[in-house]
Amino acid sequence: MTFFEEQLEQGIFQICYCGNCNDTIWPPNEICHTCNNKTNWKKSANFGKILEFSKKESLYFGLIEIDEGIRVLGEITSKSIPEVGQSVRMSVSFDSKPHYSFIVENN
Amino acid sequence: MSRVAIVGTGQTKFSKEDDDVEKLLFESANRCIQSTNNCDSKDIEGVLVSTNNNSKYLGAILSETMGIQPKISHSIEHLCSSGTNAIISAYAYISSGLSDMILVSGAESATNPGQVLEWDKSRGTLDHPIYWGSLLTKSHKRKFQTTEEELAIVSAKNHKQAMDNPFAYSNEPRTISEVMNSKQITDDLRILDCSRSCSGSSSILLASEEKAKTFSDQPIWIAGIGQKTTSASFTKNILEEIESTRIAADSAYKMAKIESKNIHVAEVHDAFSVCELMAISELGITSNEKSGEFVRNLFNTENRMINPRGGLIGAGHPLGATGISQTIEITNQLQGKSDKRQITNAKTGLIHNMSAAGTSSSIMVLQN
Repeated sequence: MTFFEEQLEQGIFQICYCGNCNDTIWPPNEICHTCNNKTNWKKSANFGKILEFSKKESLYFGLIEIDEGIRVLGEITSKSIPEVGQSVRMSVSFDSKPHYSFIVENN
Repeated sequence: MSRVAIVGTGQTKFSKEDDDVEKLLFESANRCIQSTNNCDSKDIEGVLVSTNNNSKYLGAILSETMGIQPKISHSIEHLCSSGTNAIISAYAYISSGLSDMILVSGAESATNPGQVLEWDKSRGTLDHPIYWGSLLTKSHKRKFQTTEEELAIVSAKNHKQAMDNPFAYSNEPRTISEVMNSKQITDDLRILDCSRSCSGSSSILLASEEKAKTFSDQPIWIAGIGQKTTSASFTKNILEEIESTRIAADSAYKMAKIESKNIHVAEVHDAFSVCELMAISELGITSNEKSGEFVRNLFNTENRMINPRGGLIGAGHPLGATGISQTIEITNQLQGKSDKRQITNAKTGLIHNMSAAGTSSSIMVLQN
């Protein structure tokens, strides 16, 4: 398992970034794609916004943009139909694959 | 640089049944060589195999089973656009003078591993193509007021056109109503909006200008090529756009010295219904806002200009073979050999093949 995956398993989304370029590296990589320096990690604040969503059976899912422009696909929990631009809070886990889930705030 | 021509083609029927990739490759390659004038295995200097199958050394295996001892042989994998990438590699070998004649064979079994890109951590557990297909569709509806009926027309049209394609996995007609009432996969996708993973194989022979006339009375020339990879991970995409297609098309048009209005017939990568609408817009054939209306007009007037063989939705999608089958269809169209599918006086045709939600695209322009 990679460091990113180990951290997901503990419920932590680590953002990979290059201190030299002040840029995020996503999907994560040990080396910056611009300057080739070693990258660093910082914990996500776990907040994001819905860019688009759909629904499979009873489960909403969507494309979410979290901290610093990183985008992921994940499940969305909402009491009503989600809206584009809505704020969401992220929780993560790992079980052979990353699992990203989001709860619509103020709902 | 030598010009490069397509001088022979061969295909197997696509099928939902699992099948052996080596056997499929042999079948289409054999048909391809049999269909080519004066072709002897000694003439073939390169054998390229396109597939997502994990079998090893397929270029050499196909060569040995065909009795060919080529200078060049290897596999090419690039997910759904492996086929056109293999053809373009063969083009490069021939135009550079490294080879005069190359066999390109693509194949896939229905249970291929190419649907999921494990590397892309940004997809999480939602790594099946239906998730990005749903989001592209939802976004197209939101941004361009595309209706469910307009999306269903893409599938109904392509199923109807596939009825006259003897190599399609299914020759069943599907009405607009049947598509709209087919099994719901997500709120934004019905089962008949989706292309289907299939077993199947297709092969093509490419030759240098010097050799082309020896092997074909009607060589079809590769006049333009454009390729672009913008990323590997889907979540970098702008949902309403296929940027890689737009950039690749621009390169292909410049190389062929044509504009989109010069295209008489095109095979586009309709992985999902919405992809056809997006592709014809990015290719400059119509605009995003008018793409639904454009396809409706094609359907109502029985104009087969887009996806005459039925596209991926109608014909099936054996990943490694798809780009080659698209190229064979345009070749046949430009040779006037497409029977009921024939577009009258087709002189210039286009192939659009893409991978992983359009993160990369390959375009070829063919001329007779």
